[in-house]
Amino acid sequence: MAATHERPSAREIFSTLEYGPAPDSHACALAWLDTQDRLLGHYVNGKWLKPEHRNSVPCQDPVTGENLASCLLAEPDDVAAAVEAASDALGSWSGVPGGERAQHLTRLAKMIQKHQQLLWTLDSLATGRAVREVRNGDVPLAQQLLRYHAVQAHVQEEVLPGWKPMGVIGLILPPTFSFLEMMWRICPALAVGCTVVTIVPPDSPTPLLLAQLAGSLGAFCGILNVVTGPASLGAVLGHCPGVQKVVFCGAAEEARVLRQSLAGHWLELSLALGMESLLLLLDSADVDSAVEGIVDAAWSDRSPGGLRLLVQESMWEETMRRLQIRMKRLRSGRGLDGAVDMGTRGAAARDVAQHYVQEAQSQGAEVFQAVTMPPGSPFYPPTLVCSLPPAAPCAQAEVPWPVVMASPFRTAKEALAMANSMPRGGSASVWSERLGQALELGYGLRMGTVWVNTHGLRDPAVPSGGCKESGSSWHGGLDGLYEYLQPPGTPDQPPFVSEHLNYDNFGPAVPATLPAWPETGPSPVPPYGLFVGGRFQPPGARSSRSVWDSSGKLHGYVAEGGAEDVRGAVEAAHRAATGWERQCPGARAALLVALAAALEQRGPGLALQLKRHGAQLEAAQAEVELSARRLRAWAAQAQAQAQGHTLQVAGLRGPVLRLREPLGVLAVVCPDEWPLLAFVSLLAPALAHGNAVVLVPSGTCPLLALEVCQDVASLFPAGLVNVVTGDRDHLTRCLALHQDVQALWYFGSAKGSQFVEWASAGNFKPVWVNRGCPRAWDQEPQGAGPELGLRAAWTKALWLPMGD
Amino acid sequence: MPPAVYDIEIRVAQTLHLIYSSPGEYWDSQCSEDEEPFQKDSLMNLTLAVRLRAGSDLSWISNIQVNQPAVLRRAEQIQARRTLKKEWQAAWLLKAVTFIDLTTLSGDDTFSNIQRLCYKAKYPIREDLLKALNMHDEGITVAAVCVYPARVCDAVKALKAAGCDIPVASVATGFPAAQTHLKTRLEEIRLAVEDGATEIDVVINRSLVLTGRWEALYDEIRQFRQACGEAHLKTILATGELGSLTNVYKASMIAMMAGSDFIKTSTGKETVNATFPVAIVMLRAIRDFFWKTGNKVGFKPAGGIRTAKDSLAWLCLMKEELGDEWLRPELFRIGASSLLTDIEQQIYHHVTGRYAASHDLPMS
Repeated sequence: MAATHERPSAREIFSTLEYGPAPDSHACALAWLDTQDRLLGHYVNGKWLKPEHRNSVPCQDPVTGENLASCLLAEPDDVAAAVEAASDALGSWSGVPGGERAQHLTRLAKMIQKHQQLLWTLDSLATGRAVREVRNGDVPLAQQLLRYHAVQAHVQEEVLPGWKPMGVIGLILPPTFSFLEMMWRICPALAVGCTVVTIVPPDSPTPLLLAQLAGSLGAFCGILNVVTGPASLGAVLGHCPGVQKVVFCGAAEEARVLRQSLAGHWLELSLALGMESLLLLLDSADVDSAVEGIVDAAWSDRSPGGLRLLVQESMWEETMRRLQIRMKRLRSGRGLDGAVDMGTRGAAARDVAQHYVQEAQSQGAEVFQAVTMPPGSPFYPPTLVCSLPPAAPCAQAEVPWPVVMASPFRTAKEALAMANSMPRGGSASVWSERLGQALELGYGLRMGTVWVNTHGLRDPAVPSGGCKESGSSWHGGLDGLYEYLQPPGTPDQPPFVSEHLNYDNFGPAVPATLPAWPETGPSPVPPYGLFVGGRFQPPGARSSRSVWDSSGKLHGYVAEGGAEDVRGAVEAAHRAATGWERQCPGARAALLVALAAALEQRGPGLALQLKRHGAQLEAAQAEVELSARRLRAWAAQAQAQAQGHTLQVAGLRGPVLRLREPLGVLAVVCPDEWPLLAFVSLLAPALAHGNAVVLVPSGTCPLLALEVCQDVASLFPAGLVNVVTGDRDHLTRCLALHQDVQALWYFGSAKGSQFVEWASAGNFKPVWVNRGCPRAWDQEPQGAGPELGLRAAWTKALWLPMGD
Repeated sequence: MPPAVYDIEIRVAQTLHLIYSSPGEYWDSQCSEDEEPFQKDSLMNLTLAVRLRAGSDLSWISNIQVNQPAVLRRAEQIQARRTLKKEWQAAWLLKAVTFIDLTTLSGDDTFSNIQRLCYKAKYPIREDLLKALNMHDEGITVAAVCVYPARVCDAVKALKAAGCDIPVASVATGFPAAQTHLKTRLEEIRLAVEDGATEIDVVINRSLVLTGRWEALYDEIRQFRQACGEAHLKTILATGELGSLTNVYKASMIAMMAGSDFIKTSTGKETVNATFPVAIVMLRAIRDFFWKTGNKVGFKPAGGIRTAKDSLAWLCLMKEELGDEWLRPELFRIGASSLLTDIEQQIYHHVTGRYAASHDLPMS
C-alpha cells in the first residue's frame, strides 16, 4: 500500500518483485499556491477576489493531511459580485460573432495545453485522484471539449438560427468531483454566448486555476467566474437577478431543497444527480473483460461513483471468483504516485462508503475487501457487497464510491425489469456477446447513457444525461447546447412576478359545484364524461360543472374530475404507453394523419362551438384548419425526429446512437385560450414522440377537446390519450404531485406554474411552465416551434463499439 | 511428463478398459450415429476422442467469448498503470534479464556469432555494474539460448566451453511457417533433442486453426510432445496469423491441453508479433487452464520486444494478470535478441548516472 519508509535494496526487490513508490513532483502546484500566498479567494471578472472578514477553510492534501492553502468561504455578497460581473460580460460576449467566441475557446484550450502539468499536478494533489487519470484522461478531454465547442460556437448561428443565449448561468458542483464536470457544462454555455458563475466546494483549487487561465487570456474577463463556498449558496445564486438558469450537480436531497426554494423565480433548473452506475453481466459475456469493466466503473479514479452490478445467476460463481482475484491486484495510494489504481477522495467520501458498508452488513449483506485499511487511513479499499436482500433499505440507496453492490438475476428480461425499477437513470453498461440480446437491453434500459461491452467512455460529441431521479439535464453534443439556448418562439413578455404561495392551499380539493339555474337559451349539449382508458366515464365524484358560452349562457356540462380520476387516467396511460412506444414512428404518424382527417370532418361543428365561445366564424374555421395542419406537420416531423441519429466518435470504432426516447406518461395542462388549437398543438408532438398523455383541457371551453376525443376513441389505442375535466388548480395539484407522471407541461396562471415547479421536487419530473405568460398558439414558432419537440422526448446515447 | 498429460493417459486407460469390456455401452453413451468411424488402431486418436468427445473438455474452447475492443482497452490501460523507478527499476530489469531467451534466428548464423551469443548469455551484464548493485553473486544469466536446429551443436559446445548449464532452445517443426510434412517436422524435433537441445520451440500449423480443425491441432501437438521426450515443449501460436482473438484463446487452450510447457506468442517472423491484447488473451487462457487442471503453463512473448521499458511492461503484465508465482524463468520467458543491450544500458545509467556509449558495453 503506502510506501515503506526504509528503502529496500535492489537485491531484496530482485527476490520479492514488489512495486515501489513512483512519486511525481508536486513542486509546481506548491509554487502556484505560493503565488497566492497560500490563500485562495474567488476568481471574479478576471481578478482574484479576496474580501476581508470571511471565514476560511483549509485545503488539505487528502493523504497526508498537510495544509496546502486556506480557502475563503463565500458570502452572498461575493456571489452577487460574481453574478454582476457575469451580467456585465454577457453583453459583449453574446454580442460578438460565433467565430470570435470560437477563437477565444481555442485559445483557452491552448492555454490549458501549455500549463497542463500544473493543472494535473494541482488537481491530483488537492483531490487525491490518481495523477495518471488526470494526466491521460481529464486534461486531454478538457481540451477536446473546448475544441469541440469552439467548432459549435462557429456554426451555431447557422445551424440553430433564432436561438438565443439564455444569459447568466449559475453552476453548482458537488463536494467530490473532477474538474471535468465543470468543463462539460461551461464549454457549451460559453460556446453559445452565455456567461457563467460557478460555485465550487471550498477545497478544490483546480476550477480557480482554470478560471485564472481563462482570465489571463485578457479579453472577455467576466465570462467565467468561480466562487468557493458551500452548495447551500445555490439558492442565493438562483435568487440573484440576472441569473437565467441554474445547473446543479450533486445529491438528490440538496436538489429537492433547491428546487423548492427556486420555485416561482422563473429560471430554468437543470439537475444532474447521483453518481451511481449500473452494469449488467449476461451469460454470454466475455467475463474477464466485464471484470475490467467493473474495475473501470467502480474501482478506478475515472469512476464518478459506486456501481450496481447485476449478474446472471449461471455466471455468478465465476464472476465473483474473478472479481475477487482482480480486487487483490488493485493498489490504492497517494494520487501523485504513478503506479496506483485508486487514490483517495478525502475523509468525507471514505466515511460515506464506510457507513454504507456497515449498514449493508448489518442488513445481512456479505462484504468482501481484499485488503483491510488501518483505522484512520485516508483510503477506503475496493469493496464488494453481495447477497443484500432486495428489500433491505441499503439495496435502494445510492451505492457510494468505491463500492460494488452485486445481485443475481435469472433472465435478461428480469435484468431489464430490475434495472428499470431503480429510481436512478444515469448510466449503464450491458455485457453480452450476443448482438440481439445486447441491443434489446441497450434499447430497453431507461438510462441516459448505455454502453455495450464497455463502460465509462465519454466524448464531447455524445450527449450524456439521465432520467428519473438522476435529473434531466444533458451535456455534450447538440443536446448540451440546447441546455443553454432559448428556443425561438419564447414569448417576449416579462413573466408575472410570483407572489408568496402557500403550497398547501393550492387547489386542495374539488370545489363544490351547484346546479346552474336557469337553463335558458339553446338546449345545452349532452354532458360528456371524463375521457379515460379510451371511453367516456362518469367521474368518481359523480358531479358536473357547467360551461358557459361567451354570451353568459349555459353551454353544457362537463364532468368534475378529482384525484381518483387522475389516478385512473395515469394508470390507463401507463398501460397504453409501452405499446405506443414500440410502434414505429411511421405507424404513429399514420394515426395522427387520420386524426387530422377526422378533425376536418368535424370541422363545421367545431367551428360553431368556437363561435359560441366568442370567436368570429372565419377565425374559428381557420383555427380548425390550422389544428388539422398541426397534426399533419407533427406526423411528418415524428418520422424524422424520433429516429435519432448516429454519431462518430474519435478513438472509438463503431457508432454511438443518439436516440430520442419517449418520456412515458406526460401530463399536459392546456391553456384556457385557443381551446382547440392549443389542445391539438400540445397533443400532437407528445403523441408523435411516443408518449401517452393525460390532458386537462381549457377551463373555459373544455367541450372541444372532448369532442375531438370521440375520434381519438375510435382511432387510437385505449388509454393513450386521457382527458380529465374539472377544477384546473385541483387537477394540476394531483398531476404535479403524482410520482408516476414522468413529465408535466403547464399552461396557466403564474401561481400554478410556481406550484408545479415546487411540486416537481418530488420525483424530479421535467416540467415546462408558461410562468403565467400567454402564448401565441397560432404563430408558427410559439405554437409549433422546436421547443415542443425537444421537450416531448429525452435523449439517450447508446455506445456500440465494434471489432473482433 | 507434466501431470496434465499424465492424467490424460490415465483417463485413456480407463476408457479403453470400458471399451474393451463393454463396447456397446461405451458407444451408446459417447457417440451419435453420424460421427466418423472409430479408429481402433490409433492410440492418439483415441486419446483425442476421449478428451474431446467427453464433452466437458470441448466446452473449454467452445463456450469462450473474447471481446476484442474491450481487450484492446485493457491492453492500453495496463501499460499506463504501473511505473517503476530507481532501485525498483534496476532490480526488475535484472529480473527481466533472467527471463530472456537470448535468440538468434538468422540465415547467416555461424559458429562465431553463436559463440559470442553464448558468452553474452553467461555474462549478460558487466560485472562491475552488478557489483555496484550488490548483485554479482546472484548468478544472473539469461534463461536460455535460442537458435535454429542446425546451430544447436554449436550452442551446446560454446556453452560447455563457457562452463555453464544454460539450456539450449531450438526452434523446430518447419519454423517459421510450419508448411512442411508432419513426418519431417517430428523428425526435426528428435534431431534437435539428440543434438542437445533441452527446450523445443515448435510452431503450430496455422491452417488447422483457420479451418477450425481443433482436434487435428491437438493431435499434432500431442505428437510434438511425445517427440520432445524429456525436453520442454514451447508451442508458438503465431498469433499474428490466427485471424481473431477468439482463435488465439482456443489455440492456447488446445496447446495447453496437448501438454505444452509454454505457449509463445509468435515466431518473430510474422508481420504482427507480441502485442499486449494477444498476450492478455493468452494469459487469461493460462489462468483458466490452471483453474481447471491445477497445472501452471508458462508464457513466452517473442518478437518486437526491444527496449527495457517494454520488458518492464511485460513483467508488470504478468504480475497483474497471473501474479508473482508466474514471475520465474520456469513460467515466463521473453524471446529477444537486442533487448539485452538496452537493459544493460539502463543499468549502466542507474549505476553511474551517465548514459553509456556503445563501446562501454560488450557486444553480443
